[in-house]
Amino acid sequence: MSNNSILVVGGGFAGITAALEAAEVGYEVYIVETNPYLGGRVAQLNQYFPKLCPPSCGLEIQFQRIKNNPKVKVLTMASVASVSGSAGDYDVKITQRPRYVNERCTACGDCETAAVTTVDSEFDFGVGKRKTAYKTHPFMFPMRYVVDADNASDSELAAIKDACKYDAVDLDDKARSIDLKVGTIVVATGWKPYDIAKLTNLGGGKVPNVVTNMQFERLAAPNGPTGGKILRPSDGTEPKRIAFVQCAGSRDQNHLNYCSYICCMASLKHVRYIRERGDANVTVYYIDLRTPGRYDKFKVMTEADDKLTLVKGKVAAIVDDGFGNPVVTVENAITGIKSDEKYDMVVLATGMEPSIAGLKVPAGAVDADGFVIDGDGIIAAGCAKQPFDVMKTAQSGTAAAMKAIKTVVGR
Amino acid sequence: MSNTVKVQPDLKFVKELQAVGGDSLKKCYQCATCSVVCPLSPDDNPYPRKEMVWAQWGLKDRLVNDIDIWLCHNCGTCSDLCPRGAKPGDLLSALRNMAYRNLAPLPIIGKWMSSSAGMLPLAAIPALIYGIIWVLMAGKVGSFLPRFEWDAANHAWIPTADGKIVFGGLFPGDYTIDPIFMAVFAFMLWAFYAGVRNMIKAFDAQPKTFIVGRKSAPTMLAAFIDTVKYEILQHTQFNDCNDADADELDVKRAKGHRWLMFAFIALLIVTGVVATGHWGGWLLRTLGITGLGEIVSAIGHTPMPFYHPIKLLALVGAGLGVYGLVALTKRRVNLDAAKQSSSWYDWYLITLVWVVFGTGIGAMVFRVMGAGLLAYPTYYVHLISVFMLLAYLPWSKLGHLVYRTVALSYAKKIGRIPMGADK
Repeated sequence: MSNNSILVVGGGFAGITAALEAAEVGYEVYIVETNPYLGGRVAQLNQYFPKLCPPSCGLEIQFQRIKNNPKVKVLTMASVASVSGSAGDYDVKITQRPRYVNERCTACGDCETAAVTTVDSEFDFGVGKRKTAYKTHPFMFPMRYVVDADNASDSELAAIKDACKYDAVDLDDKARSIDLKVGTIVVATGWKPYDIAKLTNLGGGKVPNVVTNMQFERLAAPNGPTGGKILRPSDGTEPKRIAFVQCAGSRDQNHLNYCSYICCMASLKHVRYIRERGDANVTVYYIDLRTPGRYDKFKVMTEADDKLTLVKGKVAAIVDDGFGNPVVTVENAITGIKSDEKYDMVVLATGMEPSIAGLKVPAGAVDADGFVIDGDGIIAAGCAKQPFDVMKTAQSGTAAAMKAIKTVVGR
Repeated sequence: MSNTVKVQPDLKFVKELQAVGGDSLKKCYQCATCSVVCPLSPDDNPYPRKEMVWAQWGLKDRLVNDIDIWLCHNCGTCSDLCPRGAKPGDLLSALRNMAYRNLAPLPIIGKWMSSSAGMLPLAAIPALIYGIIWVLMAGKVGSFLPRFEWDAANHAWIPTADGKIVFGGLFPGDYTIDPIFMAVFAFMLWAFYAGVRNMIKAFDAQPKTFIVGRKSAPTMLAAFIDTVKYEILQHTQFNDCNDADADELDVKRAKGHRWLMFAFIALLIVTGVVATGHWGGWLLRTLGITGLGEIVSAIGHTPMPFYHPIKLLALVGAGLGVYGLVALTKRRVNLDAAKQSSSWYDWYLITLVWVVFGTGIGAMVFRVMGAGLLAYPTYYVHLISVFMLLAYLPWSKLGHLVYRTVALSYAKKIGRIPMGADK
């Protein structure tokens, strides 16, 4: 029996775009998203380049389109357990984790007030905290709280439930299994920052005040843990000297053997964040500063900053000076001088690793670098396919929608 | 670089370099990870990043006169962390191999020593010399596997059917071993002299750095003594080559190298005592100082009994040598080929040294066992291998014994590296 509905795995920018483009021409689409919200990595940014738009610009219209389109069905906190069948006739098993909060939630926040335990926020990559009843960010979609029952005691859970005026907290919520029949699957599982614990010569994540570029986004974001102030995680002071370490894990056959495409632009964008907020000195250490196409203009404009120094040379060692100040060692390949430089804060421009790295892929094959390749009725989109910026991600989502329709049409 | 450099690439040189072990140098994209992670590289113009770009550009003049290749002890950290697998460590060892090939005179030996194809003529020379001696002496003493007894009155070995195996009876030291090896030794010294002269001339032609705050440059002699004291006897550079998280095989490599070096020093002392005893005794007796002459001769008389201190030193040397060889071989065999490769120069030397120690120990064991059929051929191979080790030393990787010592001393003199006590 053939089926012409479409499953989109991953509700980030690529997945949302693919889903909407297909749904708006009449196809039934399911979005399966592992996080409690849609929007993926874009939702975690402060701004995205080149126009330095906040994530709401772009995501908001997409969320509106999803709300207004009954053909799009969204399953959050859900993941694909298994896939069987072939193009036009896939049987997919989905498992959905319990949210413990039902659709009656108005996001009033009383449950959050009632919760006492705090844990590291996944949304903030550990630079912020959240409670056991939480919304990830103010722009969360679907706008509905999550209760983290694993980290809360029974009495705390009872207090959370009691605090809700709308009877929206359902502590009996269970993990459920959902069977879907679809004709084609768009794999838009996206990317995750490369694990810096593997970058042992760059401190392996153990040196204080060395953060990743995505943690830096959270520090700069107005909805982040510091309210948009760039502060050192160790002592909350404002850094006066900041270094960016490009290719932290990328273009390295010992780690990610490819260029992650966005990190140079991301670091230049971060220089803009810093300059908007103060007069800290910034040094960017790079192998090649890659700002393709029209992004070159962004680079030229950023370079005009007289407190910015660009140094050709890869940082190959970072240690703590004993007082929480990271010391980087680098050879300036232009002058041929190797030196140790002390900074208040170091940002690692960590690369994009496919989110499915290390996981069993229920559908689709992967290439040598772990990116998904198109298969029979399986279509890769966004950063699951290759490293993209947001613009190219959207294009790739639209392209995936076209391919998906082509697969199911006439069946 | 502020001054404009016109790049005149020597493509033939690039190809030559790729052939002698720098085959992956084109993969380098100049990130400079290597210069940073190198535990030995100085802050000013660190290696090996600059060598990588020079090699890619074919800047032969800079590379063949580069003193930094001798500062590297090839721990392989640069190649391990190289993001492109460009193996900067291999490039530096390839450059050293080129130096072994080109520094000393007689380019034909350099050519033969550079690949397995040259092994045959190189081995044929000593094989023929000692083969002819063996045949001639066999005719004289009446057997290819003769046995002897000692004629104390005439200081000579007399062939007898039920005597002992005596290598010195078949290959008399006075006429065959000693003159040949003295000639070989002189030849080696001459080649090194010429090689070192070429090397220093090349270093002298390089631009010098003015070092702010340096009181005075040490003399070459002071720098040489310092190098012997620190880098050679204590292996300071070699040990610094291992950082905190060096793996066990790398740590053992420095130890193994040091023990092997002490083994050679021990065996050098043994050879010296034997030669002094033999020729000194002969000289004293010839001068009429018979009593002392007999004593000196007795000290150097071979084969030595096992309780003889010099024999014990020889045995300790053999033991240290094997221990060192095991450590070095184990590491080399376990190298990750994707990170660090071994060249013909590496394998030639390690194999030859194994043969020298193996046949040396083997010849002794077979001699004591009385197995003439094994003892004499083993000793014959021992002679060939020792000849090859010594005669071709300036063109082999073991040439670093002289070249690296000179280069390190020179580097101290010009301030490229600090004196041992200032580290």
